[in-house]
Amino acid sequence: MLETRTLTKSFGPIHVTKGVSLRLEKGERRVILGPNGAGKTTLFNQLVGELTPDSGTILLDGADVTSLRVADRARLGLSRSYQKNTLFDGLTIGENLGLAAAVALGKGQGLWRDPLQSAEVRETVREVAAQVDLAAFLDMSVKAVSYGIRRQLEVGIALATRPKVILMDEPTSGVGPEMSKGFHRLLKALPRDLTVLIIEHDMDLAFDVADTITVLNYGEVVFDGLPEAARQSQMLKDIYLGAWEDA
Amino acid sequence: MFAHTPLRLTTLTLLAIGSLAYAFVAGFFGLEILAEIAILAILVIALDLVAGFGGMVSLCHGALMGVGAYAFTVAANEAGLGAFPAMMLAVALSAALAFVIGAICARSIGIYFIMATLAFGQMAYSFVFQSPLFGGDDGLSGAPRPDLTAIGIDLTDSRAFAIYAIAMVALTYLVAAATLRSGLGRSLVGLHHNEKRLRALGLTVWRAKATAFAISGALAGLAGCLAAQHTQYISPGLLSWTVSGEALVVVILGGLGTLVGPIVGAVLFVVLKHEISAITPYWHAIVGLILIAVVMSRANGVFGFVEARMAARKSKPVLQKANADA
Repeated sequence: MLETRTLTKSFGPIHVTKGVSLRLEKGERRVILGPNGAGKTTLFNQLVGELTPDSGTILLDGADVTSLRVADRARLGLSRSYQKNTLFDGLTIGENLGLAAAVALGKGQGLWRDPLQSAEVRETVREVAAQVDLAAFLDMSVKAVSYGIRRQLEVGIALATRPKVILMDEPTSGVGPEMSKGFHRLLKALPRDLTVLIIEHDMDLAFDVADTITVLNYGEVVFDGLPEAARQSQMLKDIYLGAWEDA
Repeated sequence: MFAHTPLRLTTLTLLAIGSLAYAFVAGFFGLEILAEIAILAILVIALDLVAGFGGMVSLCHGALMGVGAYAFTVAANEAGLGAFPAMMLAVALSAALAFVIGAICARSIGIYFIMATLAFGQMAYSFVFQSPLFGGDDGLSGAPRPDLTAIGIDLTDSRAFAIYAIAMVALTYLVAAATLRSGLGRSLVGLHHNEKRLRALGLTVWRAKATAFAISGALAGLAGCLAAQHTQYISPGLLSWTVSGEALVVVILGGLGTLVGPIVGAVLFVVLKHEISAITPYWHAIVGLILIAVVMSRANGVFGFVEARMAARKSKPVLQKANADA
């Protein structure tokens, strides 16, 4: 469903992505691990088109999308959530979800109808709000809600586009243990045909949700395999997991 | 997102009734002021559509208005088109030019967008100023008013023209409100809040911005047609950046991003201009002080201030109840 072939990106002398090759099958849940500065978010930025790789190829559903722009990739079913909340702050939660659904449904530039009133958009908003546990907050302004709810909305907006592949950049970043459990349930409940790529530092969540794990270090894939194999890998313990195993 | 709140609907109704009532009782001078307010209101609604809701602060709306005025006058006088076909042509031309400007400027934001639109506006001003076809510095005269005598309306009469101009404000408002409630309008507001996210959701940002700018340009072009019909004389000054700047002042004075506020701003601005200029030639300084006071008060213009006060009063009992429950 999503594949990269020897993806490489440098900023001057710094190699942030070195020949990264990944292959995600339809419905696969893959967690990307790696220490800070390993190039995880940079990889995401290249996958969605916000950064152009120096070399390499990105395939979505078999089609080469490397040269496509961000919006074109989104229309092909690639959606992402951000590590730092990237919301429509002046709008309500319902409007945030509605706008995302409307744009994804191709109603974002129509001149004759209010897409937020269309049955299709309203249904999507209702379903996604239930998925991310925001049904009770739809009429509230984003400015008025807590950080945790904003994190839920961040993921909700990405889901409202009804993507084929969703990239989530640290969805539990900055939230407390209770809310982290909520995200855990959310991720487990996602439709099985949705391909999910997650950057996550919460190890319990990562190992529980992941079908496969990829570990990046200094922009290179240093591990790509099953969660059990990752747990056993001495190299991973050395570069990343030591603190978690010791805890 | 744009919505018709009870306050907005009430204000619109009062403005409509008040202006029509005034049109029936006012003398010649009052009717001229009314037409001036109406033309300015059309221009500021057009500007608020992109600046207030889309965050695209334009300094070329004066030029778009001027293009409408010149296109109308040339089409009617030189090409011999009737007033309404000439108006449609002028509006279409302003829209097309605005689309091109919007498409080119779409990649820039903030001060860079303002400067880019200023450059386009001044280019249009210089072109008209230098061109013999458009009368150069002398301008053009003789722009016709539409002939509605077939339905018993004589637009050469000031009263009829003022009512016709008010009707055009209503049409402009309906177009702007319908745009804001459309998919494009919803996206426009989204772009103001978070362009990056909308792009990541699949919106072709430049096209949305250019289309919104084209609709706004069409409305500015309509204001230009009416300006030409009103004074029946146009000069390059109509395209000057100062016209755009004045329109921006009016939008801020009334309430940016409210659509109703700029109409209130147009009424206040024109009335203040005429009243204060009767007392002192330094009326710009007085209006400037009022604008500074409005901006420094952190209120979103006069109408925005009233809206905020009403919203605060509405939420007070809710907060008191919440506190009591706690």
